[in-house]
Amino acid sequence: MTRSVSVKTDGMQITELKAELERLHSASFGWALSCCRRDQTEAEEVLQTVYLKIFEGKARFGGESSLKTWLFAVIRKTAATEYRRRLLRSFRLTGDPEEIVERAAPNESQSAGYERSELQGHFQSAMKSLPKRQREALHLVFYEDLSLREAADVMGVSIGSARQHYERGKKRLRESLATMELGYGISWGRKENPSAV
Amino acid sequence: MESVGDEKKIRALFSELKIADEQTAPAFTAVWQRAQSRSMKPRRAFNLSFAVATALLFCAMATLAVLSIRSQRAVPASASATMSATPDSFAPRSDKGSNVAVAVETPKDSSPPVKIRVAKSSQRHAQEIAANSQLAKEAKAIESWQSPTADLLSSPSDGLFKSLPQLNENANELKSFLPNRENEKEK
Repeated sequence: MTRSVSVKTDGMQITELKAELERLHSASFGWALSCCRRDQTEAEEVLQTVYLKIFEGKARFGGESSLKTWLFAVIRKTAATEYRRRLLRSFRLTGDPEEIVERAAPNESQSAGYERSELQGHFQSAMKSLPKRQREALHLVFYEDLSLREAADVMGVSIGSARQHYERGKKRLRESLATMELGYGISWGRKENPSAV
Repeated sequence: MESVGDEKKIRALFSELKIADEQTAPAFTAVWQRAQSRSMKPRRAFNLSFAVATALLFCAMATLAVLSIRSQRAVPASASATMSATPDSFAPRSDKGSNVAVAVETPKDSSPPVKIRVAKSSQRHAQEIAANSQLAKEAKAIESWQSPTADLLSSPSDGLFKSLPQLNENANELKSFLPNRENEKEK
């Protein structure tokens, strides 16, 4: 559970804020990865920018919501801004739209920071195929263990809208995983497929 | 029931992903320190886009200024041309000619723009004088003009109609202006 504290970036409270950020660091990194389409370098850069914003007082926690939802909302906005900036920069440098798309797309070798199991790989590709909002809703609920209300706060939408994104995303994810299961003979829960033997 | 099972499976996949992400996550202190060092760095004072925007704005303002100056110069020239055609300037101004002569002679050792300006003004004065002399001739011609049907309006009794009796005339002469009532009574 996140602790709702009124934190400011000046005076003595910076130490308290730093401790809170450290506690949430791994979750923040996971959320940044999701916002940056699993690009680790970009996610690290975004997280660094977020800490800088907090340090300089550009992003201030007002205490209206929990620190975690506020931090996640800041990460989400910063990731969107960084993505736009990177896209513009690449457009200015190259001027070739095809190259821009290639540059903007996450590097597969970077995103695969660990040896993925086959099922995990399919799961990630299924997640990538989902619309952004649905992917965000699923990530916040399943990965970050947030409630739908908290997820709605992070996404900046109403709770009804967040629920719709969540339900639709779950349905589509289930469908795409089932299709992959049929196509590759992979069983959920890593059980051996009897027909494959 | 099946959806609950599916949800558990999805949750399991997410938790597996989370564990893998935690292993690859950078250390908090490293990211925090990098952010702190970034805040210490002086910001770049020169912004290219801002400079380009300022230059464009300056060019636009300069163009507008040049255009407005040109239009202001064109308006007085046309105004002087209309003023020279008014009836007040019918009389030829003989003293202008001497002024023109002086103005033409002086700019020999001056800079080229002054020469051009003097030449233009002298040309304008010469044109004004020519226009004035022509207008004076036309005015004289209008004064002596007569209608071709003016003779038809004259009659032999014009002298009687146009004359008036004098105060010191005698009664017999005055009677000639009165209607002949006595003659009417006798009848």
